[in-house]
Amino acid sequence: MQNTLKRSGPGLDKLWKVFGGVLFAYLFLGFMVIPCFNTLSSVFTTKDAAGNTDPLAVIRFFFAGSMPSFVWNSLKLALCLVFTVNLVGISIVLLTEYFDIKGAKVLRMGYMTTLIYSGVALVTGYQFLYDNDGIVTTWLVQQFPMMNKQWFSGFSAVLFTMTFACTSNHMLFLRNAIRGIDYNTVEAARNLGAKPFKVLLKVVMPTLLPTLFSLTVMTFITGLCAMSAPTLLGYNSINPEIVRLAGSSTADESFPQARAALLSVILAMFTIILLTTLNHYERKGHYLSVSKTKAKLVKQKIRNPVANVLAHIYAYVLFVIYMTPVVMIVLFSFQNWQAIQAKVLNGFTFVNYFGTENYSYTRSNGKVKVVEDAISGMFSNEKTLGGIQLSFIMSAAAAALACVIVVVAVNYIFKNKNKKRSRAAEACLLFPWLLPTILICYSYRIYFNSNVWYVFSQNLYYRQNVRILIIIAYTVVKLPFALRMIKAAFYAIDDELEDAARNLGASQLVTFLRVKLPIVLPSVLAVFALNFNSLFTEYDMGATFQSSNGTTYAMVIQSMTDEEGRNGFNRNATGRRCASTVFIMIVSGIILYLVYGVGARDLAERLERRDRRRRRIAAIRAKLGGGKAEEKKAV
Amino acid sequence: MIDLKDIVVKFGDFEALHKISVHVNEGEFFTFLGPSGCGKTTTLRTVTGFIEPVSGTVSMQGKDITHVPIEKRQIGIVFQSYALFPTMTVHDNIEFGLKIKKIPKPDRDRKVAEIARKVDLSDEQLKKAVAQLSGGQQQRVAIARALVTEPAIICMDEPLSNLDAKLRVQLRNELKKMQRDFGITCIYVTHDQEEALTLSDRIAVFNKGYIEQIGTPNEVYNHSASEFVANFIGDINPVGEGIVRKMGLDGKKHHFIRLERVVVNQPVREGECRLRGVIRSMEYYGLYIKYYIDCLGQTLKVIEKNDGINIYYEGQEVDVGIHPMDMMSYGA
Repeated sequence: MQNTLKRSGPGLDKLWKVFGGVLFAYLFLGFMVIPCFNTLSSVFTTKDAAGNTDPLAVIRFFFAGSMPSFVWNSLKLALCLVFTVNLVGISIVLLTEYFDIKGAKVLRMGYMTTLIYSGVALVTGYQFLYDNDGIVTTWLVQQFPMMNKQWFSGFSAVLFTMTFACTSNHMLFLRNAIRGIDYNTVEAARNLGAKPFKVLLKVVMPTLLPTLFSLTVMTFITGLCAMSAPTLLGYNSINPEIVRLAGSSTADESFPQARAALLSVILAMFTIILLTTLNHYERKGHYLSVSKTKAKLVKQKIRNPVANVLAHIYAYVLFVIYMTPVVMIVLFSFQNWQAIQAKVLNGFTFVNYFGTENYSYTRSNGKVKVVEDAISGMFSNEKTLGGIQLSFIMSAAAAALACVIVVVAVNYIFKNKNKKRSRAAEACLLFPWLLPTILICYSYRIYFNSNVWYVFSQNLYYRQNVRILIIIAYTVVKLPFALRMIKAAFYAIDDELEDAARNLGASQLVTFLRVKLPIVLPSVLAVFALNFNSLFTEYDMGATFQSSNGTTYAMVIQSMTDEEGRNGFNRNATGRRCASTVFIMIVSGIILYLVYGVGARDLAERLERRDRRRRRIAAIRAKLGGGKAEEKKAV
Repeated sequence: MIDLKDIVVKFGDFEALHKISVHVNEGEFFTFLGPSGCGKTTTLRTVTGFIEPVSGTVSMQGKDITHVPIEKRQIGIVFQSYALFPTMTVHDNIEFGLKIKKIPKPDRDRKVAEIARKVDLSDEQLKKAVAQLSGGQQQRVAIARALVTEPAIICMDEPLSNLDAKLRVQLRNELKKMQRDFGITCIYVTHDQEEALTLSDRIAVFNKGYIEQIGTPNEVYNHSASEFVANFIGDINPVGEGIVRKMGLDGKKHHFIRLERVVVNQPVREGECRLRGVIRSMEYYGLYIKYYIDCLGQTLKVIEKNDGINIYYEGQEVDVGIHPMDMMSYGA
């Protein structure tokens, strides 16, 4: 233990520490442990018809009824996704980063569209193309009349959609891993006589294995916990069933809540096992490059002409699959409902964005029927706008809250490095990672749907209180990600900076605000933006809460699908859905640009840019001034 | 100026400093020298106030400051990494301490401009981010930031260790000049004996939490107080049994001789012991040549000025001269 000199006011310091500790314990116990424990215990506290507690009733029901099929369906989906997502994910990364494919930059842009276009928006986009009257299906049926129009539903549709939706992590992490490969190792293998394919298999792939393993585990968990795709495309997996059961009552079926709880616990068990395996594997941490001077990877030409052509065809087919929904959604967001229904481009309109007319149609008796609450423009439609506003506020609040909590906690963790209390604080913040999102939300929904003493005896599920509950759930779920990212940023702070600030007389607060925070701020803002992005279009949690006072943007988009489904009810919804998806892409795109484009610039880069800007302005002024002077001379 | 008396510092059960005492004079360039883990940085951090000793006192200008918080000690620090705030410009870095002391803006700007001029930083450089400066310029910013608050002394913790060899030599000279110009007392920490010898007025040589010797560079080099100091400062030849016997030295003691004190093929000096040796190998350094000479069952390292004429080759027999006056002897 180092004996450091204490600052003035140690009593106040202690008081702050006690207050912080108590608050942290309150939040951890009150919003993580107790609600989740309540869910777990509810599995074993089911009462039979006579009113006696039967701890094993749900488990017996589980094995006797159809519940295993939901678990099996989820497992089947997760296993298949591991195969398909890795196949597509590895291909797109190799095609854009390792092999020399013509137009790789454009291809990369296409493959990265899932970063700005995911969740419900992506699923509805795919529906727009592939469901029984989707553009692509309609076109395919015209070409091949024998084709089944209903091909895009159930397992195959979910697998197809999620295969392409879940490759964003490959584009982020595997891409980074492949870029980190030391090209000298490739050259060395070639020099020793290995053929290109052998080099890929024996030299390149082994270095990617740790990343691939992590991606595989994450994909498996994503498949297991899939929500929006199975819900919208009709596949009976665990999560949609939990949501259905949570909204059901004992009048309709046997102990639905306890069954939902059991399914949540099963999900949690799978998640814990997988993450423990991942953690164990990550700790081994071999395959690291030992090279001190890494050489930048040079793209490999595919020498075999046939293989080269096939690789190009494969790359562009994937590009078309990725880009078609995006392009079609953007194009059709500027079409009226008639054009959308006919699946042909006809003119250009902003009606889906700013239109104020309700949907109207002519009945068979010749009268015009106007459907109320069916305004075409997303920015004029009260329900859509409400969803956007609510999601915006809740996502921003939760993303900010998660960042504040984590920044304060990480600062504490770093100040108390290698101490038990800092390790405990870190473990508490990582706790939600072990639990499926749906378990946390389900637990909140059930536990806080009564007056709970430690939240001022309020029912947090009641009416508009649910919004606070959703914000808390959003915050809790985002804590582990925020912790991992912000902790990494804190590692970049040199201990001597803090010493220097102290030596110059700065208090702990001033040191934190003026020295440490500005250093980690870009990372904190990045975490805020990424969390905001994912929460803004989040569907799973909103759907689990299933409250009319907490209808999020993604739920509004999902409800548009229902509106369209009822033929003749509201055709405006299709266009509005396209416009909403485009809006999401724009918001996500702007945020990603701000994070990775603007936010990543350090002070030196910002000053250089400012200087360049000033020089440009000065040059323009000089030009204009010169021009004016010449004019004056001429006069 | 600064007095450390019987300082003991512990990290848990480990005692890092064992009752060390040092006195640093006003205006002196004083260096803490020693290998890694010897306690030199711990001593510096005790002076600056980052570490509170278990026992002993730290006094500055006669006042006991042992328990005075860091920010009230009036000590400027230049850190090993310079610890410049990366999110601030050079100007803001230098201004930081003044701002904390709530000095009015016009005074702050004046002081920053003054100190910048003294350490040779231009107005243009003041507007830059620290990352846009070279290593040498960054060092000047760190010194300016430490000096702008007008501290009584300045402490430097290996400020040259991150630089390349050429820049180190250049900045070493600048550092000494700046210290003289400002007339400020300086405590300097380094593990580099060459740096210590060239910069310091006096040196304290640390070993395992003790101070082995305090003295001028000449004293610690030519009159090393212990075997450790003799070995740590500069290169030295341990003298083997054969030579000891031939020279009639006390066999119970350990004897050493500096490389430059052994002469090759030179006229015999009075009282000198003359030996016959064979050049085993040589290292060419340009300014000088280092020879490894097999002599009476041991290999002696010898440095000879490269005059371009007297160059010896492997296998050549040479006369080796050692004067007993040049021997450094320590009890076993």
